[in-house]
Amino acid sequence: MAGILPAAEKVLKKRIGWYAAAIALMSLLLVAQAVPSVVNGENIQGSVPWLPSLGIELSFYGDGLSIMFGLIVSGVGILIMAYSNEYMSKREDLSRYYRQLLMFMGSMLGMVFSSNIIQLFIFWELTSITSFMLIGYWRNRPMSVYGATKSLLITASGGIFMLAGFLVLNIITGTFDIATVLQNESMIETIKGHEFFLFALVLILIGAAAKSAQGPFYIWLPNAMEAPTPVSAFLHSATMVKAGIYLVARIHPLFSGTDAWFILVSGLGIITMLAAGFLAFRQTDIKGILAYSTISQLAYMMAMYGYTTYQYPGIGVAAATFHLLNHATFKACLFLVAGIVAHETATRDITKMGGLRKDMPVTFIIGSIAALAMAGVPPLNGFLSKEMFYESSLEMGHLLGGPLEYLIPAAAVLGGVFTFAYSIRFIDGIFLGKRRSEHLPKHMHEPSLIMLVPPAFLAILVILIGLFPSVAVQYIIEPAASGILLQEVHLHVSLWHGFTAALMMTIITFIAGIALYTKYDAIAAWQDRMNARYPWFSINYAYDRIVNGAQGKSSAFAAVMQPGPVKPYLVALLLLFLVLGAIPAMLVATTLVPADLNFNVPPYEGILLGLIVLAALGTAILRKYLHAILAVSAVGYLISLVFIYLQAPDLAMTQILVETLFTIIFLLVILKIPQTFRENLTRSVLARDLLISSAVGITVLVLLLNATQGIASPFESISYYFIENSVPLARGHNMVNVILVDFRGYDTLGEIVVICLAGLGVYNLIKSRSDSK
Amino acid sequence: MNNTLLSVCIALLFAIGTFMILRRDMIKVAIGITVLSHATNLLIVSAGAFLGGRTPIITSEDPGSSSGIIFTDDLANGILAPIIPKGTEMVFVDPLVQALTLTAIVISLATTAFLLILCYRIYQEHGTTDVSEIRRLKG
Repeated sequence: MAGILPAAEKVLKKRIGWYAAAIALMSLLLVAQAVPSVVNGENIQGSVPWLPSLGIELSFYGDGLSIMFGLIVSGVGILIMAYSNEYMSKREDLSRYYRQLLMFMGSMLGMVFSSNIIQLFIFWELTSITSFMLIGYWRNRPMSVYGATKSLLITASGGIFMLAGFLVLNIITGTFDIATVLQNESMIETIKGHEFFLFALVLILIGAAAKSAQGPFYIWLPNAMEAPTPVSAFLHSATMVKAGIYLVARIHPLFSGTDAWFILVSGLGIITMLAAGFLAFRQTDIKGILAYSTISQLAYMMAMYGYTTYQYPGIGVAAATFHLLNHATFKACLFLVAGIVAHETATRDITKMGGLRKDMPVTFIIGSIAALAMAGVPPLNGFLSKEMFYESSLEMGHLLGGPLEYLIPAAAVLGGVFTFAYSIRFIDGIFLGKRRSEHLPKHMHEPSLIMLVPPAFLAILVILIGLFPSVAVQYIIEPAASGILLQEVHLHVSLWHGFTAALMMTIITFIAGIALYTKYDAIAAWQDRMNARYPWFSINYAYDRIVNGAQGKSSAFAAVMQPGPVKPYLVALLLLFLVLGAIPAMLVATTLVPADLNFNVPPYEGILLGLIVLAALGTAILRKYLHAILAVSAVGYLISLVFIYLQAPDLAMTQILVETLFTIIFLLVILKIPQTFRENLTRSVLARDLLISSAVGITVLVLLLNATQGIASPFESISYYFIENSVPLARGHNMVNVILVDFRGYDTLGEIVVICLAGLGVYNLIKSRSDSK
Repeated sequence: MNNTLLSVCIALLFAIGTFMILRRDMIKVAIGITVLSHATNLLIVSAGAFLGGRTPIITSEDPGSSSGIIFTDDLANGILAPIIPKGTEMVFVDPLVQALTLTAIVISLATTAFLLILCYRIYQEHGTTDVSEIRRLKG
């Protein structure tokens, strides 16, 4: 399984779309060969140590759920790459496009086969980043950039919440490995009983909801439609947005069966389903309609994954999984059809279209099949999973009892009605009726086969799964559902169940849907009016306020915190130093100045120290640069003498060499800078600066005097190690040198890097002068 | 380090350095930074040195002395270097602080050189070394 990633990565540099499609085919075959063993209930595992000290390894785990996602990702991937050959103009930067698509596919596959949650998080964020790059593929369009930024901000920050949730989970279980937790029932019990349970659940769900555009996070998906259409079909309908659903399914065994799970997951799903379905009416962009429908379809799955009680875990799991597969087929197909239509008519505005069935009959048929599947019309695959959705909603309502017994099925039907209405809108608005705009090109025709075959293939799949569901169910859905539920699942799916309640609900849906469709334009107009009247009543408005506000706020913040001149910073720093260093020290020390002061120094040392102070004073008092510099280098040389008294010959040597160089550099610089400026010290400035500097000096003195009183440190100095081991381990007699080149070699490496960087900086600064002149 | 005079000297260096970096002249500020780094180096080295300590170079005069006879610190009684244990003749000063300071000296050379060149370039662009004036010119 691990072979998939290197395989995908190796070819990132290759150019041609067909080649990319071949890679996707290869991944599909790799995933598909795992199907038989998973159907037999054997999961695939493999791992490579990565960060063993943290318990993180590069490990892969394939169960039914992963395999299903793997099949969807690579299967749709093939079609998308093939389709792109024709869709993308040859003038575009195709290598970048395919590189990013393949990168996305690789990270998506990596994510679903990750066994380690840290690894899962990394791949998760990689999909966010590649999605960002693909949405912003047309860099020159402001809307692309806006959409890309929005999606990155929302999905990536959702990922951070998810990471926090994973870490909480790690605190509970003590492992990062998903497979370990899944195979250990007592551990799952521990999670459910733990006090951090809700905390972890909410954090992870925020991540999942942000990725799958659920709840308030939905706003990024409509803007993500600025991406090239094949990208929308791939990322924003079939695969990436399902990552959140995948996560919910993956953690289902850990968290389900609790009230919190039902309320959070199903509640979020149902609300999103209704809201997004309703909001879809207003869209005039065909991709916008599809975006809202994706949100609401994903919410179906969310809601179904949330259906669970203690007695009956996972009532809706099989239905949700089935719907996931079906949605991937018909929605990718719809997007590809939308791509064809937009390609041929050069617009995406549905109000300008109409009557296209005469110009492109094949596209019309394909699009209708997919849209009817979405509407839940038999005998297409959408019908089957919609039925299962109704069934599980009924069952769930029945189990809960009370008003919920009717509310949950009613919400499900209402969601279905909205879906029916906008699906019909898609067919009617584009293909039926008469032309509504004269601006459309006169001669529209069917696209070439390259663009027709991928959606046609998906449409055939839609019909096949609808007519013969048992194959897909046996090989894909049952293993996937048992991967989620951790037990054998057997489903019986067929077109005709007899007159069940679910069938009644479907019929109600169709009737209500048709009735609603007659009012479609009126509702859309009402939404438009509401939006114009109350612009603040929208999440997009809040998002724009926050993001646009951030720029203004941050510059205002910077203006306050970083006024520019160095002095305020220094004063703030020194005050902080006084507060943090001096005051606690004075609280600890009983007296400011310890009694046993030791002035008993040899006279030569006393003279030396006196000279240092004198020279340092000189740097402050002497007006001319030259004099001040000579004084400061005198300080340096004198200090090197002090080093000798302090038994540090190496330091003395270094100090002398460095001081020499330093003096030379200083002199060279002042040769070029004539001293034109003289600061006039006013009395008040002088008094203030003297006050600050003497406060610093006194603090240092008090700290030093108290520090030399032999306060025992609570730990042993590490110096003894170096002293004892410099000869036995490093065969060096000069301990300082041994420390520098052996024990702390990396420090020295860092030091050399600093010097190199400084050198480069100096070089560039001097270079930049000759350029500007 | 229990030499009060040295402490006073370091404290004075700190005070003078602080005074210098509060100046408006860039070159003076650079000098102030140098003085401060001198003071810091001196502080760190003196923390590891003590009366009677030996240079941390193992010579042939004390064969076998490298094998752990140096400090007999007694954590329970709160005795640690730089207190010289009684009865021990050969004691090295702390080599670690010296190694750290050696690195610090070299790095401060690099940063000061960079700083000076920066001053030089700013002077070229703006024709002054007055920090407030440059600030005003920038707007």
